[in-house]
Amino acid sequence: MSSVNVDKYSRSLFRPTTVLVEDEASGYPLTESILGRLPNAEVVVIKRPSSENLVRLSQQFSPHTTLLLGLHRGRFLKACPGTAESYRCCLYQILHLGLGCNIGCSYCVLQGYLNNPFITQFVNLDDAFAELDRELERPGVFYRIGTGEFTDSLFMDPLTDLAPRLLDYFGRAKNAVLELKTKSVAIAGLLDYPGEIGETIVSWSLNAPRVCKKEEGHAATIEERLTAAVLCRQRGYRIGLHFDPLLYFTGWQDEYRQTVASIFTHLKGDDIIWISIGAFRFMPQVKEVLKANHPQTNITAGEFIRGIDGKQRYFSAIRRQLYRFLVTEIRRYAPDVFIYFCMEDQYLWRDTFGFAPADNQELSHWLDKCCYRYTDKGHVS
Amino acid sequence: MNSVNISSCYLADIDFDDRTFPFSYGLLPAPLESSIANVGLLQPPLLVAGDRGFNIVCGRRRLEVVRKLTDGAEKISFYLVENSNLKKLFRRALWDNLALREFNLVETADIYVAALNIFAVDELEKEIMPALKLPLRPRFRQRCQAIAGFPWKLRDLLAAGSVDAETVDLIREWSTGEKAALIDLVEETGLRRNKLREVVSRLDDLARRDEVSALEFLSAARKAALSEGGGIDVELLRGHLKALLYPHLTAARREFAIRQEKFSWPANLHLDPPPDFEGGDYRLSFIFTGSKDWEKICSKLTSVDLEEIDELCQRG
Repeated sequence: MSSVNVDKYSRSLFRPTTVLVEDEASGYPLTESILGRLPNAEVVVIKRPSSENLVRLSQQFSPHTTLLLGLHRGRFLKACPGTAESYRCCLYQILHLGLGCNIGCSYCVLQGYLNNPFITQFVNLDDAFAELDRELERPGVFYRIGTGEFTDSLFMDPLTDLAPRLLDYFGRAKNAVLELKTKSVAIAGLLDYPGEIGETIVSWSLNAPRVCKKEEGHAATIEERLTAAVLCRQRGYRIGLHFDPLLYFTGWQDEYRQTVASIFTHLKGDDIIWISIGAFRFMPQVKEVLKANHPQTNITAGEFIRGIDGKQRYFSAIRRQLYRFLVTEIRRYAPDVFIYFCMEDQYLWRDTFGFAPADNQELSHWLDKCCYRYTDKGHVS
Repeated sequence: MNSVNISSCYLADIDFDDRTFPFSYGLLPAPLESSIANVGLLQPPLLVAGDRGFNIVCGRRRLEVVRKLTDGAEKISFYLVENSNLKKLFRRALWDNLALREFNLVETADIYVAALNIFAVDELEKEIMPALKLPLRPRFRQRCQAIAGFPWKLRDLLAAGSVDAETVDLIREWSTGEKAALIDLVEETGLRRNKLREVVSRLDDLARRDEVSALEFLSAARKAALSEGGGIDVELLRGHLKALLYPHLTAARREFAIRQEKFSWPANLHLDPPPDFEGGDYRLSFIFTGSKDWEKICSKLTSVDLEEIDELCQRG
């Protein structure tokens, strides 16, 4: 594969001017390589910060321009937090390699979850891979693993060069697939990767053009994301798409119709491994944070009720309208593509699709079956 | 320390309008009035020479009470401090007040805003804001600055505790006209704290949702809530705003009630849908006082058409 020289694909969305390095993170290869790519950045070595110290540090160093390099001391592989059992979740696994992102989406749930104001990269990758080795040894278990839950998987990949490291590992892992979720187009590391990519999925979060423009900070445009998806598909990656969060606003039908049409001018149904859909939801306390961080947005000013999981979500009649419309639109172009809901209840599953997973395990199984690598025994024979 | 001298002056010599040291705002405490009415001013206030008389550093509430009780003709004793170091005087007044009481929202805001012009950022964040129990986050700073600029009627309501901090955050960006209309509503209806916050929150959501002024919704809600006597019925007002903000949910509730009517159930049998129709569990309950009631209800329940039940449980 020839090297892609298009600038935007090799540009990190985050270019810190200051790097805080935990003293114990010094000397790690990832620390050294990141610092090597930031020759002009101010480097400050700090002791492992407590939550209070992080707040204090954020008054000294702007989180908008500062990267924190540290060690992760807990488990790297975690179950996706999902939500209460009353809503179906897909039992996804998260590989926890970093925290935060600077794209600046108004609806980002991380605003309410993270107590660390800094974009953080964990540098003890060998510990992560050692843990994966132990975990993936379990017989008969298939893993769908993503890195894009507490951060965007690729937004600063040109800086961390993490994607090739992950491909080195997951390209040969037989009972696991890696999904990299992003709103960026920093895909040069994926396109230039010379080795076996296995069944790695590159996924883009998509939305209505108006939402992209108004609510998604400096994410790539829908057109840019889909163009990047085409390049990744040409390189052999499978493509995932995530309509999450769907927003309800005047003219939403035309806007989402436009995005769906745009998908299928770039990709064929067969190119897409799955499409997830989830209507906007948020913990009640996030409303104030969101209004403070994004005073111009009005996305929380809708018909929200309190769900069984305590989250604010659109009243079900609105979710139903959104889901039925979007699924119908997608099916017009790709009748067989696998579509699923993220954190939705069985009533709306049945109402939209005519069937519903009996439990989270069944939904998980349906997603596993979308992967070539999966067999009923849990791995490739 | 500043040097302190005991002096005396008439109340008329004190510049009550000066708010360099804005440590009190709001109603005067009744126990203080009783105390001064019975035994006079025991603790002399702290004053400093100003351009138009003496400025009050500490003891404004005491002096206000004396003024109220004596029509301003009284001569009082006071401690005169040198006006050489504003920062020191401000700190002295702050800590003196804090030793005795907590500040209300308006006082906290006024003190913070006054301190902005006196202290360096570092001093503000390390001493003044923690003393005022103000977190360092922007939201709290913005709240203070908003309160300091509110119309006095609104400040009075805040100082009296009739409006809470969350409501301030909601109306912070409202226009002068919107705030004035809200004050009118509060005066007319007596809406206070929680119900007021709910009304304001709905107005704010509606205004932001439709990108129009909250005034539009407030005017419409007032019209819809006019009672027969010409006043505003608060419950009608709240219901109207709720229906505007939750049109689908309101329709679903109405449809459920209509479907339920088909059953012609006895009054002691109740069917409740899940809260906000979220989730699938409906709850049936009945009240009985003996076997006759029991039999009647059982007979009614066994005669219910199952298709009707499915129809009833359709979500809106």
